[in-house]
Amino acid sequence: PSPTITTPKPLYLSSPFVEAALVKGNFKTIVMLPKYVDIMEWVAVNIFDFYTNLNEFYGVIAECCNQQSCPKMSAGPALNYTWINQDRKSVHLAAPTYIDYVMTWVQNLLDDDNTFPTKAGHEFPPSFPSTVKHVYRQLLRVFAHIYHAHYHQILHLRSEPHFNSLFAHFLAFGREYELLEVKDVKGSSSAPVGVGQLWEAWRQMGILEG
Amino acid sequence: SFNVGALYKTTAGFSDDAVPRAKTAQLKLEHYYKVAVDSAIERNTRRVELERRLQTEATLSDERKQRQLQQLGKKESTYLRLRRTKLGLDDFRTVKVIGKGAFGEVRLVQKIDTGKIYAMKTLKKDEMLKKDQLAHVRAERDVLAESDSPWVVQLFYSFQDPSYLYLIMEFLPGGDLMTMLIKYDTFSEDVTRFYIAECVLAIEAVHKLGFIHRDIKPDNILIDKDGHIKLSDFGLSTGFQKKHDSSYYQRLLDPTHATTSPTTAAQAQRNSVMVNSINLTMSNKDQIATWKANRRKLAYSTVGTPDYIAPEIFLQKGYGKECDWWSLGAIMFECLVGYPPFCSDSTHETYQKIMQWPHYLLFPEDVHLSRESEDMIKRLITSADRRLPVEQIKKHPFFYGVDWDTIRRIDAPFVPHLRSITDTSYFPTDEIDQADEERAADSNEASKDLAFLGYTFKRTLGKRVRGPG
Ligand SMILES: Nc1ncnc2c1ncn2[C@@H]1O[C@H](COP(=O)(O)OP(=O)(O)OP(=O)(O)O)[C@@H](O)[C@H]1O
Repeated sequence: PSPTITTPKPLYLSSPFVEAALVKGNFKTIVMLPKYVDIMEWVAVNIFDFYTNLNEFYGVIAECCNQQSCPKMSAGPALNYTWINQDRKSVHLAAPTYIDYVMTWVQNLLDDDNTFPTKAGHEFPPSFPSTVKHVYRQLLRVFAHIYHAHYHQILHLRSEPHFNSLFAHFLAFGREYELLEVKDVKGSSSAPVGVGQLWEAWRQMGILEG
Repeated sequence: SFNVGALYKTTAGFSDDAVPRAKTAQLKLEHYYKVAVDSAIERNTRRVELERRLQTEATLSDERKQRQLQQLGKKESTYLRLRRTKLGLDDFRTVKVIGKGAFGEVRLVQKIDTGKIYAMKTLKKDEMLKKDQLAHVRAERDVLAESDSPWVVQLFYSFQDPSYLYLIMEFLPGGDLMTMLIKYDTFSEDVTRFYIAECVLAIEAVHKLGFIHRDIKPDNILIDKDGHIKLSDFGLSTGFQKKHDSSYYQRLLDPTHATTSPTTAAQAQRNSVMVNSINLTMSNKDQIATWKANRRKLAYSTVGTPDYIAPEIFLQKGYGKECDWWSLGAIMFECLVGYPPFCSDSTHETYQKIMQWPHYLLFPEDVHLSRESEDMIKRLITSADRRLPVEQIKKHPFFYGVDWDTIRRIDAPFVPHLRSITDTSYFPTDEIDQADEERAADSNEASKDLAFLGYTFKRTLGKRVRGPG
């Protein structure tokens, strides 16, 4: 018998919620790079959409994500993300603060024509691939926190098919363009990311194949 | 296992609007995935079509073919970029104010980064809210956005700021039919046949899109660079399925609320009978002069001119697409006679005449109309159930000789002479105040914005791009 208290299986891994989906089938049709299309533009517009859609759902959950309910940016029973501050020190932030930082930072990047060019004739900077990887990693953390700390609220709002599909799409896209590291999705064995198991479950269900 | 119902209950603790907001987020996401799948399919179709076409072109070198495919990719990529682009007023430079409408103005603008020319229509949000025109602007946006038709003005972008909505459309340099009628008084039967025939096809195209225009008038018939027409201003149009709210017109019909044309309001109220009898004895020339003197003012007023609106629209009973054919009849009358059939000194009086159209549809004696013209008009300006449907309109003797399939490609009777891409000589720019309006945003705008949620639009490539070119 294990000496640790077994934590109950999270709701998002339980039937029927783990299967709930708005988009049926796999994501290949909308993840694949369209032939002849510039990969930078494709990645850019998809990140733009992931950000917008995630923001939309977090905007609804935000009223339940406060300093009291979420004093840490949690993403698993033993995992709290830290933020690197201006002095390059890792600090714990309350989840709403952390998420606010992430979303503001991403919004500013999206609005910055030097990072995400929109004007005719402006090119993507050479640093674009590494920037978007960075963005992806932070957005993953926001997803991870919502699943870990607010899934019951997602259920209460009956948004689980929508939110699942958005996240599955995010994972499928991230793997296809190597924007996501497996270690970021699964976390370490001592501090696993909650949604790492979801990723495994969906992979086994064939949802993420591309 | 657990009880889902209990779970929902115990996790309540949301504010009242959390559920509707979640619903909004869900709807947006559903829309997002629908569009994502549709555009993937369309994009694929465009590519496959081009690849297939290139395969059949034996004379083209492989290098040229490759270049065409790369060009398609570039076009698709540009479109993806456009989706991320937040357009604003700053991205456009005003060349000139070229038109005025009920809720704002129309400017000739140039997009700063590309140098491309567009017509920009601005609509003042609070005016629209006041006049309950919200559904209408949505409809206008939708018609323009969905259409891929050569008969409908193309919409490229729309965006908003706290006070205004902006529609960025293709610029039609030839002005509108109203301005042309002001200039020429009347058209010959041949010229009339050309414009009315093109209008028949344009109206048919709008109907095929599933919309009723409801507000077809010479101001909304625009002339392109080759002298052919396109319809604009779907402000009042509605989808077939929607039920019409006629209270707006009921108010206008009610004499106690009668809204009169700006210049003659006082006069008309004093002795409307007199005015009427004078009109009847006026020569055609005088009638034209009076009509013209007030015409543009009426176009700029929020009341607008009811001259072309079908009687059934004023009634509670509902209406169908036939109402647009009535409007066409009124325009045809005006082209040949010089003023529309029910024109009066006040809008109220015009309504009355339209309602009693059998008494007021008179063909002046000093204007000669061919039998076919008169008959055509009478078969359009008649009760809804007797109005000709489009197939029969096209077969009417008035249109004898019209080749319906090629008319858009033949030479138009008046082709605008344009000196540059920003030539505005076909617009009454000296009659329009060119001063920049105060665009100060007031503070309690947030709630107002909600009403316009989802307004922002960027044109999809849709079927337009058939290949590079
Ligand atoms: N795309 C365009 N290209 C060139 N001129 C245009 C264009 N759109 C509108 N105009 C000019 O501006 C005038 C007013 O436009 P429009 O009728 O669409 O305005 P409005 O606000 O909808 O007016 P209303 O609802 O009273 O008809 C037109 O009569 C025409 O002269």
